[in-house]
Amino acid sequence: MLHANIKKEFRTNGRVSFSLDASFVVQQGIAVLFGPSGSGKTTILRSIAGIAVPDEGRIELGEHVYFDSEKGINLPIQRRRIGFVFQDYLLFPHLTAAQNVAYGIRSATPKGRRDRALELLDLLGIAYTSDRRPLQLSGGEQQRVAMARALGSDPVILLLDEPLSALDAATRVRLLGEIVDLQRKSKIPFLYVTHSPADAVRVGDSALILNAGRIVQEGKPTEVFNAPRNAGVSRAVGSENILAGKVQEHNKREGVSVIDLGGCQLVIPYVGLTIAAPVTLGIRSDDIIISRERIGQTSARNLLEGTLQQVVQDGQEVDLLTSCGVDLKVRVTPQALEALDLRPGIKVYLLIKASSCHVLS
Amino acid sequence: MIWPAFKLSLLVVSIATVLISVIGTGLGFVLAKRQFRAKELCDALLTLPMVLPPTVTGYYLILLLGRRGLLGRYLYALSGWTLAFTWEAAVVAAGVMALPIMVKSARAALESVDARYEMVSFSLGKGELETFFRVTLPLAFRGLMAGIVLSFARALGEFGATLMLAGNIPGKTQTMPLAIFEAFISGEDRQAQALALILTFTSIVTIYFTNILTRPSKSA
Repeated sequence: MLHANIKKEFRTNGRVSFSLDASFVVQQGIAVLFGPSGSGKTTILRSIAGIAVPDEGRIELGEHVYFDSEKGINLPIQRRRIGFVFQDYLLFPHLTAAQNVAYGIRSATPKGRRDRALELLDLLGIAYTSDRRPLQLSGGEQQRVAMARALGSDPVILLLDEPLSALDAATRVRLLGEIVDLQRKSKIPFLYVTHSPADAVRVGDSALILNAGRIVQEGKPTEVFNAPRNAGVSRAVGSENILAGKVQEHNKREGVSVIDLGGCQLVIPYVGLTIAAPVTLGIRSDDIIISRERIGQTSARNLLEGTLQQVVQDGQEVDLLTSCGVDLKVRVTPQALEALDLRPGIKVYLLIKASSCHVLS
Repeated sequence: MIWPAFKLSLLVVSIATVLISVIGTGLGFVLAKRQFRAKELCDALLTLPMVLPPTVTGYYLILLLGRRGLLGRYLYALSGWTLAFTWEAAVVAAGVMALPIMVKSARAALESVDARYEMVSFSLGKGELETFFRVTLPLAFRGLMAGIVLSFARALGEFGATLMLAGNIPGKTQTMPLAIFEAFISGEDRQAQALALILTFTSIVTIYFTNILTRPSKSA
């Protein structure tokens, strides 16, 4: 379990241009650190790894103290046993894939290192790349080698800095699944930095939302994206609802698919995925119509019933946080809020057109 | 006259090149990867022999290492040996004159290595030394080799500082460039031509290999 309390100020021309002040805990599983660019995500990751030094604070993993400004502790990178996966892989170009993975393996014999390296490459399904140089590998293969290399040194935590942002959509989806598998097998916590809500919902067991150097909300990914606690979080996560589900059935004649979201089902335009395939949906909060009464026949394919949990108002923008089996935020105008007398606790009905549901991955 | 000068040049330049490869890479590493206050001043001082007239550098070396020199006097008092007018002096002169090229090349080559590769190595539990030899050095290899070849060429052509510190004693401190000069002023044109040809040929080969080593390739 990682406990971090990181304070760091950045100055330009003597003035504080950015200040980071973040406290958080990473439990077992995959924690997603989400935030717009410039929110301090990378500085947090670099501080945990020991590449950047905080001005103040304390970072500890299990019983190991990595950093403590009060006690003057700053463990060198080498002794932190951290796996770091970069966005641009950074494989050693002069070594083969197997040699890259073997590099950090703590085995006494060259054969022991090589065997373990091949085992790790095999675990990631790329044993065939073992004797190739990084330049002969595709982006997805390179990132798999980079992850195998990071795991080779037996780290106590794996830090991933936007590992998929340089990859094409199809490879991203495949690797997202592999990252989840890898975490379950390796049993160490992963801290995954991303600015993609879809990736966050797909891999995250928990999410930390970072905005302007502060952790503004934490919780389950779908919860923080679809029920932003205040206007600041809402701005950081954007106006889209992000939902993770599985394909339940197809109705090819009508050109639609049904997605099971756990708490409810949604009808969306037909997707060419197999039944039970994982799918991430995006629904913009201003594409949802809210009503206090059940409406009979409409062209919208989805009618959800639920409860209004919270009203978050920020000037002309009102976010209604509802719970309809899944969390969904609905953007309305202040006039609508008044006219419908919308307040927490009331029963609401949501109308969502199939075509408003976008498949993100 | 040709043969002894050729042999001596080869010996002097080989030793000088080995020494400055190691020292120059070390100094280049400090300049490339360490942050300290007087960094650019150090760089300027190390570059000085490249800009100063070689005779001035030679003169400073005598002031420093001659029998009554700043350091040379202690060496003489301790061992009764003095550097001036020995073949070792030719090594020192060639080395000092070629060092700036090596330091500059090494600094540029090592600076071009993305520091994040070193971070990856550290995060995989490796120390500074192992990281240097297994990551930094191989990644800077071509640039360093180019620097070594250029330094070799510079040391081979060294004349002024060698003349000042080692003199021009045939068979003892007379390297090829000095032999050419002597052959020319004493009217031995054929010898001067032969030596000039050898040096020209060596220079062409040097430039050729430097170009190959510094050419951006698809594999590195």
